[in-house]
Formats: sequence, C-alpha cells, structure tokens
Amino acid sequence: MAEVEETLKRIQSQNGVQGIIIINSEGIPIKTTLDNASTVQYAGLIHQLVMKARSTVRDIDPQNDLTFLRIRSKKNEIMIAPDKDYFLIVIQNPSD
Amino acid sequence: THRCNLQFTIIIGCQTRAVHSAEAEVQTLSTAVSWTQTQPHDEAQELLLQPAADRLDPPGLKAFLQRVEDTVIRELDRNGRSHAFDEFQVNWEDQSQPVSCLHCLQHPSAQERGLHVTSVSWSCTGSVIACAFGRTDDGDWITEPSCVCTWNLDRRGLNPKQADLVIDVATAVTALCCHPQQPALIAGGLYSGEVVVWDTSRTQDPVLVQTGMSADSHREPVYQVAWVPLQKAGEFGVLSACSGGRVLLWTGDLNEGRFVLNAAYALVPQQVPHSSYVSFKARGSSTVGVTSLALSPWDPDTFLVGSEGGLLLRCSFSSQTPAAVPSEGHNVTLRAPAVFVFRPRSGPVHSIHCSPFHRNLFVSAGTDGRAHLHSLLQADPLLSLRVSDSSVFQVQWSPSRPLVFAAAAAQGTVHIFDLGRRSLRPAATIEQGGADQAATCLAFNSQNSHLLALGRTNGTVCIWQLSHDLTEQSPREISQLEQIANQVAA
Repeated sequence: MAEVEETLKRIQSQNGVQGIIIINSEGIPIKTTLDNASTVQYAGLIHQLVMKARSTVRDIDPQNDLTFLRIRSKKNEIMIAPDKDYFLIVIQNPSD
Repeated sequence: THRCNLQFTIIIGCQTRAVHSAEAEVQTLSTAVSWTQTQPHDEAQELLLQPAADRLDPPGLKAFLQRVEDTVIRELDRNGRSHAFDEFQVNWEDQSQPVSCLHCLQHPSAQERGLHVTSVSWSCTGSVIACAFGRTDDGDWITEPSCVCTWNLDRRGLNPKQADLVIDVATAVTALCCHPQQPALIAGGLYSGEVVVWDTSRTQDPVLVQTGMSADSHREPVYQVAWVPLQKAGEFGVLSACSGGRVLLWTGDLNEGRFVLNAAYALVPQQVPHSSYVSFKARGSSTVGVTSLALSPWDPDTFLVGSEGGLLLRCSFSSQTPAAVPSEGHNVTLRAPAVFVFRPRSGPVHSIHCSPFHRNLFVSAGTDGRAHLHSLLQADPLLSLRVSDSSVFQVQWSPSRPLVFAAAAAQGTVHIFDLGRRSLRPAATIEQGGADQAATCLAFNSQNSHLLALGRTNGTVCIWQLSHDLTEQSPREISQLEQIANQVAA
C-alpha cells in the first residue's frame, strides 16, 4: 500500500507533472491526484481512446499490441501506460 | 417471624392447595467491581474511489505500477528535456489570408447626413455590434441628431444595409460601451455632455437611465464611457470622462430613470504629480481635457487617463485628495485622482488599453503616430512602435493572443502588431485608404476572437476576420510577455 503511494510520489515529482490517474480495465478511476470532476472526465474519455488505439494497432498487425500512448496538445501532454488490468495516466506540461 | 397465608375456599367448588412458604437468608460473601463500554467502530478510511470496502489496494496494482514505473519516468524525463516540438504548431483552421472582410455594415440615413462612426462596441455575447454615429472632426456644438445602430451578426438574413435596431439620439454620440454582463444594455456618451444607458430590449423608449442636464453632469463632450464593477457583486456603474477634465462615476436609479453621481474626479494641471523631466506648462488652461480612459482589469482601484495635452496619468478611485477647483454645485466632492505621470506625448492621447494578460502592461497611442507599450511601474515606455505618419485613433489588445494588438490610423489603415515577432513591422495590415475613410475606432470581439470591427468616417463599419495565426495563442506567449514586462529599468 505504501509502495503504491511512494511510486505515485516518485512519478509526481518528475518535471512538469500536473496529475496522475490510475483507472481499471472498466475505466473506473482507482487513484487520482486531480479533483473528482476532472478525474471522471479523463477516465471516461481516455479509456475509450486507449481501446480504440489498441484495436487500431492490432488490426494493422494481429501479432502487435499497444504498449504506450502519448497525446500531445498545445497546452500539455498526456501519457498513458496501458495494461491488462489497469491504465496509468500522467498529465505533464513539459515547459513547466 | 412466621407468615400466615390465608386460605380461601371458593364456594364454586375450587380449592387451592395450601401455599407453602419458607424463609431463607442470603448474603454475599465476596464482591467484585467491573464495567463495560462499547467503543466506536473504527471508521475505515474509505478511499473516494475504491469500489470495494476493503482498505487494501486492488489486487495487482502494486505489480502493475512496478512494471510501468520505469518506462513512464523515463518518458516523462525525456519529454521534459525534449526540444522536438518547440516551435511546432498545428493549424486546424485553414485560412490563407491574414485578414479578410466579412461584412461592411452601413446605415444609409446616417451616411446621407455625413455622419462618421465614432465608436463601436461588441455585446457581451459577441453576436451584436453596436455602432455610434456622430462627428469626429472639430466643430461647434453639433445639434444634428444622430443615432446608435446595432446589427446581430449571428442572425440569418443579416442585411448589411439595414440595422437591426436604430436608436435615434438628439446629438452626436461620442462614446459607446456595451454592458459586460447584460447584452441589452448599452452606455453612451453624448456631445452635449450627457451620459445615457439604453436598454435595447425595450420596444418603446429605449432610454433606461440618463444624466440629463443637471448640475452634476458634464458640460463638455463625453469622450469615453466605461462600465465599472461596483462593490456589490453584479452591480455596475458607468464611468464617464469629458474634455472638461472631469471623470464621473454614476450609478443608475432605475425608478427615476436618472443617474446619481457616485464619485467625481477632476483633473487640474497643478495637481498632476511632478516628474523629473516633465515641465508641463499649464498653457493658461485650467483643466486637463480627458480624451481617453482605460480601466485596469487586474486592479479595480486603478484607471488610466490620457489628455488633450499629451499627459498620460495613472489614477486611483480611492484617492481622497480634494481637487483644486471651485465648487460647481456638485453633490459629491471632487477629488484629484492622479497618482503617477508617465512620459507625456506631444499631442492628444487618443487611446489607452490595459493588457488582459499582464497586470502591468498597457498600450497607448495618439497624434504622434506611434503605439507606446508601457509598464505601470515606470514612466518611460518599454517600447514604441511606429504605426503611421498620421494620428492613431485607437489601440486595443487582442483578447486571445497576449502579444498582439491592433492600431487604427487616421489614414484608414489598421495595423496588427505581434510582439513575438522579431521585426517591429506589423504582422498584418488592413488597407482601405483614402482621407474620407479614416479609421476612427476598432473593437476586438472577446467571444469570437477572430472578429474585429472597424468604424470609419464614411459611416461604414467593417467586420474583419483574422486568421488563425493572429488569434490562436502559442505555448510560450505568456512567458514572452512576461519577459517584455520585466524589461522595466531597475
């Protein structure tokens, strides 16, 4: 339990990290450092996007699979590490 | 002692047996004291989002994080140091030209009378443009009636030659400002010195409140009106400035339909703060004719004033110094608001605007044909940009791009400057020259930041559309603006 918190702290201490969310395979947030409303919004939208990205990769090559997803926008970058049971979402503003 | 129990024989025929009784004595031999108490149930620290009621992390979470932690930290670190996307920008909206004219609005009856557009203002919703007609050239008291016209650009069937609403006004309208929260209210300043608020939702008489020709009101043309938030949230007063050197704050009494003077400020040359190199000679005039006014969106106490003589002053609403003017029968004591004087110009300051993105920056322009970028912290301008050879009538910061501002010149051209560019030449220019088409006023639309309204002396109001480059904020703009603002000399 403490190790989970420590890991999140380590990630949070990286340069420019604005927020971290962990969602489960159903898109339900498990842990978050953001407020409730934003968390729920990110969780729903990103879950759908990761599913779509994964199916895109696998349709192109069934032997391949999605390992990491990055969305870069004008204001920040969203990094998603997907897995069978959980997704780790980190929002970073690199110029901070 | 013995006890006797009576026996009854009931006639019916029942008979109870004899009740046996005996006596015995009991005595406790030993004692012990003890107590019990219920304890409150240990409130489980229920994590907000944990579906199961247990306090342990979901299974596999620790292992998952151990798997991904290194990758994620490596990516975050690399991303923080990467320059791959430094100047990379994506253009989602395709626009080939920097500026293009969308509409050219006219009010034929005003044009026939040779009226100029003196002021334009967008409504708070961003769909309605209100235009004031009058004259901008010098002249005696204009007794010609003029009007205020509004067009709703979002309405289907927009007719550029016919305004949606025309409000007839007895004299020339010299200033106009739409209410920041209520789309139907428009404040106007007249050549006669009156200040009026029109309610465009009323079908009958649109005049909601007016100052009338009372002892309190201005006697000179009102060159600027602005809505000022009052102490009570949601309430606004109207600030008006006239060439007689008075800045007055009015609150509306809706029952009477009259304005009540809330605070009054008078600017006189003797009370302008001294500055080391300003040797301002009064030139015999006893007033500082106000030609432009700007409110600071950051500090509700500060307002900036520009005068006919080229003075640029920072003023305070809360100033308590009484003004050195003879009492004119005002109900409110006149106060001297000037707190700081900036480097003066050689001619009238026509326009001042505070930056919506930085609390210390503002831009000013006047007859010297230049746009000066000032910081509130120092007297000298930070930057002076040459706009045109003739006067510049209005400057305004872009509501969406911190480094961009537009300047309208007397010759008719409008230059849009981008401080992020290395060159001091304008990023875009709206040409439409000719002496009879001088650009008198402009207004950015804060809701639809790609629209710019421009009023001309030929009585037309043109709505221009700006390209993506001029309206979309780029990632490092705010920090670039900060850098410019920090160039203040120590």
